[in-house]
Amino acid sequence: MCDHHDILRSNNKDLQSVEKQIDRRHFLKKTSLGIGALALGSLLNTEKAWSSIGGADKAINSFTKNKLGLPHHLPKAKRIIYLFQSGGPSQLDLFDYKPKLVDMFGKDLPESVIGGQRLTGMSGSQSSLPVAPSLFKFKQYGESRAWVSEIMPHLSEVVDDLCFVKSMQTDQINHTPAVTFMQTGHQLPGRPSIGSWLSYGLGSDNENLPTFITLISKNGSGQPLKAGLWGNGFLPTEHQGVQFRSGKDPVLYLNNPDNYDGTDRKKMLDYLGKLNSIQHDAYGDPEIQSRMAQYEMAFRMQTSIPEVTDTSDEPDHVFEMYGKDSRDAGTYAANCLMARKLLEKGVKFVQLYHQGWDQHIGCPWGVKNKAKQTDQATAALIKDLKQRGMLDDTLVVWGGEFGRTVYSQGQLTEKNYGRDHHPKAFTMFMAGAGVKPGFTYGETDDFSYNVTKDPVHVHDFHATLLHLFGVDHERLTFKHQGRRYRLTDVHGHVVKDILT
Amino acid sequence: MSQTPDFVLFLGRFHPLVVHLPIGFLFFAFVLEIFGKKKKYENITVAIPLALMLGFLSALIACILGYMLSLSGDYDENMLDSHFWFGVFTTVLTLVAWLIRVDKIKLPNKNKLKANISALTVIVILLSVTGHYGGNLTHGSDYLTKYMPFNKKEEKVLVPVEKVEDAVVFDYLVAPILDAKCTSCHNESKKKGGLSLIDSLSIMKGGKGGEAVVVGSANKSEIVKRVLLDPHHEDFMPPEGKTPLTEEEIAVITYWINNAFAGFSNTVGAVKTPENITKIASNMLGLSAGAAKQASLKALPKIPDDVLKEIVAQGFRVSELVFNSNIYAVELPANTVTANNSSELKSKLETLAKIKDNILWLYLEDNQITDSYIDDINQFKNVQKLKLNKNNITDAGISKINLPQLEVLNLFGTKITKASLPVLANIKTLNKVYIWNTSISKEDIENTNLENDVPDFVLN
Repeated sequence: MCDHHDILRSNNKDLQSVEKQIDRRHFLKKTSLGIGALALGSLLNTEKAWSSIGGADKAINSFTKNKLGLPHHLPKAKRIIYLFQSGGPSQLDLFDYKPKLVDMFGKDLPESVIGGQRLTGMSGSQSSLPVAPSLFKFKQYGESRAWVSEIMPHLSEVVDDLCFVKSMQTDQINHTPAVTFMQTGHQLPGRPSIGSWLSYGLGSDNENLPTFITLISKNGSGQPLKAGLWGNGFLPTEHQGVQFRSGKDPVLYLNNPDNYDGTDRKKMLDYLGKLNSIQHDAYGDPEIQSRMAQYEMAFRMQTSIPEVTDTSDEPDHVFEMYGKDSRDAGTYAANCLMARKLLEKGVKFVQLYHQGWDQHIGCPWGVKNKAKQTDQATAALIKDLKQRGMLDDTLVVWGGEFGRTVYSQGQLTEKNYGRDHHPKAFTMFMAGAGVKPGFTYGETDDFSYNVTKDPVHVHDFHATLLHLFGVDHERLTFKHQGRRYRLTDVHGHVVKDILT
Repeated sequence: MSQTPDFVLFLGRFHPLVVHLPIGFLFFAFVLEIFGKKKKYENITVAIPLALMLGFLSALIACILGYMLSLSGDYDENMLDSHFWFGVFTTVLTLVAWLIRVDKIKLPNKNKLKANISALTVIVILLSVTGHYGGNLTHGSDYLTKYMPFNKKEEKVLVPVEKVEDAVVFDYLVAPILDAKCTSCHNESKKKGGLSLIDSLSIMKGGKGGEAVVVGSANKSEIVKRVLLDPHHEDFMPPEGKTPLTEEEIAVITYWINNAFAGFSNTVGAVKTPENITKIASNMLGLSAGAAKQASLKALPKIPDDVLKEIVAQGFRVSELVFNSNIYAVELPANTVTANNSSELKSKLETLAKIKDNILWLYLEDNQITDSYIDDINQFKNVQKLKLNKNNITDAGISKINLPQLEVLNLFGTKITKASLPVLANIKTLNKVYIWNTSISKEDIENTNLENDVPDFVLN
């Protein structure tokens, strides 16, 4: 017990005398669990979380000298922008061209294709499942001859930089679990998100900005998003994604109040830091360190954020490239532009969300509308990163949580159809660092219903993503509640065929 | 050799369990004897005969079970012999000690105590020796000393190869797999199934189940057959609880048996090698991504923390590209050097030059770099990616660039003109050059007479 006693005793003389007044019963009551956990923790968990504070040497931070033994191999990607299309974009109306469906118009989807799959409650009880071919025209573009629908005219210009994966598969058929699965590798909330894992594993490239930032298009309708999607789960709190507000003021309360020039804030924070380290010495709670890191980050963000989020100094041709929405703060286009600036400044992970891809009814109109909101800016972002040479070490990911069904949910007419959730096949694309440009991987059957070649499961996607960052997905682990966790849990294979 | 009945082997496997009983009893008897010499503890000596008797009986049982286990033939005979005789001798001596203690063997009273102590001391020594041999049999003879401090491991040192083709198939590819996954149970002292995979002779000798390796036909070779079984099959190798071989590892062993005819000296280049094997091999040898270049970088010196601190203090962001590889990506964040402090640039680069060989990626965008600094940058001989964008670089600077490993060069927003195109095209290692926002146009690239093997000029 003596050792434990020493750990708990504060280094501070004043506090020591207070501690001596704590009686034995009180001590045991307060610490019986904590003491065991503490001792066990220090025995078992040799992996120490990142911390550039709390006595650690600031000059050589986590970034320069990695404490977890990462990266495992030479990375291709230094940063990533994940353009999450929430709701489940219809692969059938965007990228996965199925010409044979025209002849099948209105016919019932054969049971042999469905293969006994359990459908959702929304369309599972329909008397028929009529095949609905896409209303949109498809054409091949670029040297890679990739098929793209007419509603993505800008994206079709950059297909030679894209790597399509047409054989994505997920386990989840409803939004919340599916998005959670896509972002954290598990359908139930509580696991760390991809960005948190990368932040934890690789540290920060710019200590004046958060490593992991979340942007959400404003006026988002459709399925809600929740903070757990960019949450740290059981990883130390400073690795959670920092959500920027969609609007003119991405982070609130960064400006000093009127009549306060802010000169003594640093002093105040230093004092607070001292008090907190006393508390940390006494109780050993890592959350105290996290809190200290957050305070210091907030202080540094006072100067760094206004600079990086101000796009007004961008030349006109840039706004023209991203589309006129890009002048309207908080739109998808404006967020794409801001994302580029954040990436330029060394933010490792920008997670962007655009909601509303959930076309159960009025699919043609809905998909077209969503495409219009995102097409130009997505293409512009890729072009912009490319011309700046950033695509070389920046990974761009575009995709939703699942795909949509080939059959119409609700009534099928010549001009209208709806599409239900479909987890067994959907399309994503990536671009940049380490993935093959102008490449299409995987195939689906004539109904875009089943994967016929090279399936890529969500776990495989995660494994590949970590691989591009020089991380072996099987070796980036965190011990929690008695076992080691990883982003891919016990699954995942790196899809080597899409790597350069 | 006649087959040992399964039941005998089943009992035999209890030997490692039962064997700990006599160790405990006899050691305790020794302790009792020592303490019993003190007046204060005199009455504990009554327990000694009991301890000795139990020690003898359990030792006897352990001996019998041990003999049964030895019938499996899984163990190295020399070592087994020693263990066997030491065990028997310990047991016999225990009996003698017990008999002395209970006065069945009459000794003059004076000598009795001495005899007891000395017998027990010898027993303890014998126990230790026997136990040690037993441990070696079970865990392998290097088990105890593997992590001993200052224990210089005698590892076969493989000279790093520069090309996959130069690697000896067995030494570089197969042996590491066997060492990692097989030899903990199949070695000279512990020959599970009579098989040792420690060297060429023992591998070709095979085990009790037949030939481990059938030259030229992997699917007849026991070592391939066993690893390909259904993991729940009882013959599956490695046994449950051990890490199975990966697909790549199996592919390598198959390739060795089929294509290299299970030879021990042929190199990858000398045998027919399919492309997927070349890939796996270069991964195993750490030759992937930049092939030979990587290998030569491996020997880079370690950078002391002080030097890193000094560099970070100059405003550089330094990150190690692969953990413990001593290769770094270095970035000077844009606008660290502005018109106001451009005089500092020289000293910053000089500080950075302390790790000049260790830098693979060098990002210097928007930091007042001019043509005169190209000479400084040329010191960083191993740089593969160089960002000089948004700096005042002109054609004169480009013509001075001399970096033998350069693959990616970012020059967007610089002052270069089309005159630089042939110069850049001449840097044979270059794959990509970013030239957006310079005076160079698409037509310029098309109109310049360039060879076929030119880098990709990225405009927009």
